[in-house]
Amino acid sequence: MEPFKFYECTALVRMTGRRASDLIEFAEIIRNVSPASIFHHMHQYFLKPHIRLPEYPNDFAIWAADALEDKILAERLANLNPFEFTNMEDIRSEILRIITEHLKEYPAPRPVIKGKEFFFNEGITLVAETHLTAATLQEFLEALKEVHTSSIYFHFYEARLRLGKALDDFSRFFEDCEEQACKQVACRIRSLDPYMYTTEMLREKIIEIVEARCHGA
Amino acid sequence: MVLDEYRNIAEPGELRLIEAMARRLEGRKFIHVNSTSTGGGVAELLQRMVPLFNSLGIKTEWKVIKGTKPFFEVTKRIHNSLQGQGLMITRRMWETYEAVNERNAQKMDLEADCVFIHDPQPAMLIDKKKEGLWIWRCHIDISAPDKATWYILKKHVEKYDAAIFSAAKFAQSLRIPQFMIPPSIDPLSEKNRDLTEEEVAEVYERFNIPRDKPVILQVSRFDPFKDPLGVIDAFLLVRKYHDCRLVLAGGTATDDPEGERVLAQVQEKAAGHPDIHILLLPPFSDKEINALQRGATIVLQKSTKEGFGLVVAEALWKERPVIAGDVGGIPLQVIDGVTGYLVHSIEGTAFRIRQLLQNPALAEQMGKAGKEHIRRNFLITGHIKHYLSLWIAMENRDSSVIYI
Repeated sequence: MEPFKFYECTALVRMTGRRASDLIEFAEIIRNVSPASIFHHMHQYFLKPHIRLPEYPNDFAIWAADALEDKILAERLANLNPFEFTNMEDIRSEILRIITEHLKEYPAPRPVIKGKEFFFNEGITLVAETHLTAATLQEFLEALKEVHTSSIYFHFYEARLRLGKALDDFSRFFEDCEEQACKQVACRIRSLDPYMYTTEMLREKIIEIVEARCHGA
Repeated sequence: MVLDEYRNIAEPGELRLIEAMARRLEGRKFIHVNSTSTGGGVAELLQRMVPLFNSLGIKTEWKVIKGTKPFFEVTKRIHNSLQGQGLMITRRMWETYEAVNERNAQKMDLEADCVFIHDPQPAMLIDKKKEGLWIWRCHIDISAPDKATWYILKKHVEKYDAAIFSAAKFAQSLRIPQFMIPPSIDPLSEKNRDLTEEEVAEVYERFNIPRDKPVILQVSRFDPFKDPLGVIDAFLLVRKYHDCRLVLAGGTATDDPEGERVLAQVQEKAAGHPDIHILLLPPFSDKEINALQRGATIVLQKSTKEGFGLVVAEALWKERPVIAGDVGGIPLQVIDGVTGYLVHSIEGTAFRIRQLLQNPALAEQMGKAGKEHIRRNFLITGHIKHYLSLWIAMENRDSSVIYI
């Protein structure tokens, strides 16, 4: 079986020049902004290093809470789990559905103050192969401890939703192994809820799973 | 200066990415052009970045346009107008701008694989483009520009292949791709390297600033957008509660003729107050600024307009809490309540200074968080990585995921 190759990545932020100053403008732009923009705002939280964790894991929810000051909408947008969807178009529809339902229940929030508009960006990901590879659980563990957190981001989030793979790269690698122990690792990694973690926390969780297997637990 | 010197500071993964991208661009020619070789954040950045690019195998040159005093008066006015000061640029002024740009274009060799033109002053050099990528790098706060000034400048900007702004809120409606890349500080430069306590003490002694009470410091050009007069007002409010000193330290730049006028106003307002120290620092005062920042209790950056405000990152890197205006790129650096405070008024500035003087443990905690925040987000290594990413992305325009 082919060893697992670890890649690391960085994101370059491309600005679309489009901005929304109220919820209706926001919904109108969401309707036709690029899938790359929706992906970027749903995921940049996981690639960016944080000194204080934002309250919610996607830019849309953060903006609803901080700029629109609409906590209910923010909570609804935060609860959107992209891993329940297989492509960005379905996520776009879900965001629009949440906003539409919200507007049927509550009046549209007032426009934001100047400077707090939502600025729509897109991410361009540049990916580089590292020298780190793994053919065994132990090698995987050692490499996972060494790679930059961007590697976790790339193999977990980017692989699933941007590159359109059915599974994250880690689960897929272990799933394809013949050993039963590896298949159990794959199963446990798949059961993680990645939107509840930062990439650093996700790394720790995967290390725990692999270490437990290495020690026969 | 080579990348290895940053191994104990930057993330190893970030350095690996830089090396991978540099291998791809090895031997290519890169030119940066701006309007001053000393003073201001752009010159400081280029002084550090150019040798680093060269050490990575990318043949990099930095060129400076030659301007006249009237030209710099006009470009300063354009700068202020783009930052929303509502100043009109007359036909004659635009002619001065164009004439100097054309003169420089005739004399400069700008043949390269990638050319970065920094800020509005040399923006018209784009007319000299024959081949290669040409990028306009805007360092100023262009979130609410004077519409007429921007309309005229935009015609030049749209001839570039792409534009770079320092914050998302500076994005414009443009027909060319635009990218967000924050600037950075170099932790190994004379302005940011570690200093001994003796080195810090020597600088304070040299400037006759006793360190007998807390020091509140603002380092900035004497520029109305940095609100030095508002800083003095805030200090006077704080003095009702705390015995402390204020140090206003400013440099000058050859492209900033307005500085002298503002300095005179500041000196007049501070006259006769023994605890207000106004320092006019000559170019190459990096070690002095470093020492002043390290010796300060609290650092201010009470800007009302700001491009990015690199001086904030410098102070945070030295573990000083920063109280700063909620403008431009400052909120990217000052996370309110975590690495310092964002303020919107003279009263707010005074209130936050009082809070931190009253609670040194909180100030210390904010300082430590500030250093880590800068390390992760605003070091020169990250900046280099972004520039190389942009270059590669522009050569692969249709891809949103690029394998290096």
